[in-house]
Amino acid sequence: MSIMENNGGSVIAMVGKECVAIACDLRLGNQALGVSSDFQKIFPVTDRIFLGLPGLGTDVTTLKELFRFRVNMYTIKEEREIEPETFAHLVSSTLYEHRFGPYFIEPVMAGLSKTPSGGFKPFIAATDLIGCLNFAKDFVVAGTASSKLFGVAEGLWEPDLEPEDLFETISQTIMNAVDRDAYSGWGCIVHVITKDQIVTRTLKARMD
Amino acid sequence: METSFAITGKGYVIVAADTTAARSIVKMKTDEDKIKALGPHLLMAYSGEPGDTVQFAEYVERNIRLYQIRHHYSLRPSAAASWVRRSLAESLRSRHPYSVNLLLGGYDEASDEPKLYWIDYLGTMTEVPFGAHGYGSYFALSLLDRCVKKYLVISGALICHSRYHNPDATLEEGIETLKRCIDEVAKRLIVSPSKYKVKIVDKDGVREIEL
Amino acid sequence: MASADGGAYSFSLTTFSPSGKLVQIEHALAAVSAGTTSLGIKASNGIVIATEKKTSSILIDDSMLDKVAVVCPNIGIVYSGMGPDFRVLIAKARKSAQAYWKIYGEYPPTRVLTQELATVMQQATQSGGVRPYGVSLLVAGWDINRGPSLYQVDPSGSFWAWKASAIGKNMVNAKTFLEKRYNDDISLEDAIHTALLTLKEGFEGQMTEKTIEIGIVTVPSAAELEEGKIGGETGRPKPTFRKLTEEEVRDYLAL
Repeated sequence: MSIMENNGGSVIAMVGKECVAIACDLRLGNQALGVSSDFQKIFPVTDRIFLGLPGLGTDVTTLKELFRFRVNMYTIKEEREIEPETFAHLVSSTLYEHRFGPYFIEPVMAGLSKTPSGGFKPFIAATDLIGCLNFAKDFVVAGTASSKLFGVAEGLWEPDLEPEDLFETISQTIMNAVDRDAYSGWGCIVHVITKDQIVTRTLKARMD
Repeated sequence: METSFAITGKGYVIVAADTTAARSIVKMKTDEDKIKALGPHLLMAYSGEPGDTVQFAEYVERNIRLYQIRHHYSLRPSAAASWVRRSLAESLRSRHPYSVNLLLGGYDEASDEPKLYWIDYLGTMTEVPFGAHGYGSYFALSLLDRCVKKYLVISGALICHSRYHNPDATLEEGIETLKRCIDEVAKRLIVSPSKYKVKIVDKDGVREIEL
Repeated sequence: MASADGGAYSFSLTTFSPSGKLVQIEHALAAVSAGTTSLGIKASNGIVIATEKKTSSILIDDSMLDKVAVVCPNIGIVYSGMGPDFRVLIAKARKSAQAYWKIYGEYPPTRVLTQELATVMQQATQSGGVRPYGVSLLVAGWDINRGPSLYQVDPSGSFWAWKASAIGKNMVNAKTFLEKRYNDDISLEDAIHTALLTLKEGFEGQMTEKTIEIGIVTVPSAAELEEGKIGGETGRPKPTFRKLTEEEVRDYLAL
């Protein structure tokens, strides 16, 4: 059995019009046995960045703590909040540090980056477990349901979705994808980030 | 085979673990205590590789005690759980990882809440309303599932039966639920443990009870 | 307090004198004051740093001498004091900038690099078996957060941001001169001329493109910034710090 599938779990991020959304399931399992239905895989990094960490359960917690440490140190040293692009590079280089004994995590990031003119630009990215960055213009997926997420997202996503429509799109995508995956599911959480607020909703899902 | 359970109720956590010490197919001992009191309001049930278990449990016990001596107060359950998890996560990527699974039950005096953490040998940790390790978990978890309110989102028609797990159950009800788990394992598991040690942690501290 | 031979408290740089001074650091400052004059001026649309380049013999090939150094595409440094010490610090600064790039995919802000250098210099005042660096630095750079900024770092490891400053042999006169000449909305072109005029005060010998070195920080336009963000993934960022060529220096001197 693959280490990446030991605990199960999936994350997806999508770009909308001046907004981004990121969602995960809530299952934590031990192989086929479900252990928890309240295991969050998405963590806030700044007021405008979220980080999703699907993969091996122990590394979800370890990396959450490691990135909290590194981002806190950055904020103190630089006297400013980290930008999504910079954070993506930090994630990438942190994972590559462990190239020959990696953390079994495939991170997904979503955020709004400041443009030089003072506006905000949607940003999403994902990496593999050794930190190879993938900047996408539409959506990124990771976790045990990634193949299913790709399929549903490919069919539902369209450019320039307003925050409410993006919420609906990402919710339908993750709910339908994790229902087809035995290792993901047991509830979902969705975050929609816009320039002046973050909307977080918990979705009720099948519990089987 | 080795089994441990823990369930939370209104203001308490019950932790139970079998008392068998086995080598291969032989029962060496049937009165082994696999639940340590790590502090005035903290219990830890440990199972896994023989040798590792006691070594690791004592290491944790001494370090939690050291914190208490240094700071004149005990770690809260969440902080203790984080520390134990990190120890296991660091051990996992060392030359000789500990192979120990834990159930950490405590009573948080600051928030007046019972807390229960499920931790495995990889350092995977999650807070749970009830948890189990070992082969018994396959029977006990599904039994306990029958009544957690948040699991009933699909068929809202099901009513909550207090005979199974209920986060607001009284201690007597909790003990009854635990007995059901033990009976279920005794009935369905081929090599089921014969005896269990049961400990409780609540606002008054930790104590052992006889079933 | 420091007497000619350094006094009883000069034997170890980590020993305080009764008056609370570390005399070795004061000696390092003396080494800086003996060095050639350097200066920096922050303009409304950029920064200029400049220095006098002196050679002990006409036989030395002065085209090989570098007193203004590029650290990374957005930061440059000039110094007064001991040349070899500066070279070591520049090597450390460049390495630090590349290490930062490896982690964050962009070059460090001026303040972060300055802080890093200041830490290196402070460490040399507290470690065993070393002496303080015999240089003061003027660090000029541009970054998206703070725009153009000019810092001075001293052998003690303390650093300040300046609108204009001078270090080295003629620093007192040069600073007085700059105080008279400086205003907040000076343009980069005017600042370069002010820099040359300031250097001219107390300049020994002929001021030519061979005896002067100049580095400038320019501020990217809004359009360039927008473009830089997009090309930032793969392309190199457009440099905001560069050294003036001998031809450019000659043209400024001619005016």
